[in-house]
Amino acid sequence: MKTKSRKPAVLTWVIVAAVYAAVFAAEQILPPSSMLFTVLKKGATYALVAVSMNLLNGFTGIFSLGQAGFMLIGAYVYGIFTIPVESRPVVYQYYEGGLIQFTVPVAVALILAGLAAAFFALLIGLPVLRLKSDYLAIATLGFAEIIRVIVQWDPMGPITNGANMLRMFPSFNDFNIRDAEGNVTLYLSTLVPFLIAGICIGLIVLLLHSGYGRALKSIRDDEIAAEAMGINLAHHKRLAFCISSFFAGIGGAMLAMYQTTVQAKFFTTAMTYEILLIVVIGGVGSVTGSVFSSFLFVAASEWWLRFLDEKQMIGNFEVPLLRNGFRLVVFSIIIMVVVLFFRKGIMGTRELPDLFRRKRKEAAK
Amino acid sequence: MSEMEIKTVPDMETDGETVLKLEHLTMQFGGVIAVNDFSMHIDRGEIVALIGPNGAGKTTAFNCVTSVYQPTSGHIYFHGKEIGGEKMHVTPDRITEQGIARTFQNIRLFSGMTVFDNIMTAMHLRRKSGLLTQVLHLNAEEEKKNREKAWKLLETVGLTDVAEEMATSLPYGKQRLLEIARALATEPTLLLLDEPAAGMNPQETNELGQFIVRIKNEFNLTVFMIEHHMNLVMDISDRIYVLDFGKPIANGTPEEVQQNPVVIAAYLGVDEE
Repeated sequence: MKTKSRKPAVLTWVIVAAVYAAVFAAEQILPPSSMLFTVLKKGATYALVAVSMNLLNGFTGIFSLGQAGFMLIGAYVYGIFTIPVESRPVVYQYYEGGLIQFTVPVAVALILAGLAAAFFALLIGLPVLRLKSDYLAIATLGFAEIIRVIVQWDPMGPITNGANMLRMFPSFNDFNIRDAEGNVTLYLSTLVPFLIAGICIGLIVLLLHSGYGRALKSIRDDEIAAEAMGINLAHHKRLAFCISSFFAGIGGAMLAMYQTTVQAKFFTTAMTYEILLIVVIGGVGSVTGSVFSSFLFVAASEWWLRFLDEKQMIGNFEVPLLRNGFRLVVFSIIIMVVVLFFRKGIMGTRELPDLFRRKRKEAAK
Repeated sequence: MSEMEIKTVPDMETDGETVLKLEHLTMQFGGVIAVNDFSMHIDRGEIVALIGPNGAGKTTAFNCVTSVYQPTSGHIYFHGKEIGGEKMHVTPDRITEQGIARTFQNIRLFSGMTVFDNIMTAMHLRRKSGLLTQVLHLNAEEEKKNREKAWKLLETVGLTDVAEEMATSLPYGKQRLLEIARALATEPTLLLLDEPAAGMNPQETNELGQFIVRIKNEFNLTVFMIEHHMNLVMDISDRIYVLDFGKPIANGTPEEVQQNPVVIAAYLGVDEE
């Protein structure tokens, strides 16, 4: 049997390690208020959610639009179980301090967030996964909307705080290590989200490279053939749906940490579309593509194009059109150009190691 | 001959060990009866062909055996155990699990995968390790064994040189061979081939015939195939069943079927004064 060259894999590990080292170093050197860290934190969060969505849409061929719903569940579960007991009377001021009067460690809350999202995925997956393509998309979209409304429902208040926001739970900034006076001695607030997202995405990549991963891809390629090869469609689709939701739940918890507050009304369909856009731009069926494009997407929308929202002068000449909101116009045009010229996204179905392989035969289309 | 005049011929007797048995199988789609009261059986180690004019219901019969369709009535037995038929609700993967594998008339390879991965995917069914073991890659031994087995299968069909190519980039004939190799990877005892020689020239068809006999012996298989190439059918089949308008109109050895006037009429048509 042929053995593959190890070089691309080694190079990939070197790059990943270098990125983490650079993030760590930058955090110690640059001022923490730099936009770079905002982008990196949100980018890491979106990268995880985008990869989890790609697992469904790109690798299993299930077109689901429920991502925001599962993120919401994750964010709420994280918030509910980590708000310090002494802060609860303030947060749950309209619900007499709320029902739950204990906290769990952050790591446990993260896993709970994932499990809760996966549990809901299991429940709605039973009826919904019988549907195909557009119908499935509409059903999952509906689920996300329903969840958003139920969480805000007043009788749920003692647990979810109703339509009010959850806050005062540990955020990314709490990962910084401080001395007795409260001065930060070691900045970790960007590295930790990178680590969480990295571990989760690593697990998804491992899954995709296992026998189960191949089974999922076979469902995407040809359901009838997959079934004829002994792959139980219902079981494997449910599995992919639950795993994807698990990581979307963790992504939701990370978003909560990033934003420092959680409010159901922000987990809208628009959020799902943003993530879908990231997946499509990166390449449907490429983990690397999803990761790249989430950082690009976040950087472009939050940072690089900000100047378009303000008046800019070149000498005495005022650049026309620039005003609040113009950023979004340019942003939309860029997205259209990307979609037009990179039909299969930035990466297509290639991954990082593939870029180091000299001859990679493309699928004959 | 018109549809009304066709007489259903009962199944023949043989003295082998029955592997697959269809009893009065009927498949109705609305007003169309695609398969009509079809009874047949296959013995261990046989190559049995199912022939008939276009639209005779051959592929529908295959789809009933593999549970793609739920038959309107009738029973299907595999090694004496009922695996399909009226009121049996099974998914096709359960049939494959029992040891029946198939290929498709219009090739259905996994297009986004390499030739090698197509075979590896079909081995998923027989894996013993669970999800977590596989995700954490703690099943190195199983994986290694599977890779070796997949490589052997590629050697059997002579596709080792294209193992890392995308499956759909192969020429037609090789795609058919890959489909057979993929079916073999599920470790079947009964192999269903749906027009394996479609689109092949006489030379390739001849080679395919020898190949089918070879894998039958090598993998201890029983083979059930639908085929239009009469040379291939007559060369390698032990017995033949003939369907016309969904009804079984003849069965027997290749010689018997070849000389059967009903079969000749079905294929060539007869004058109706």
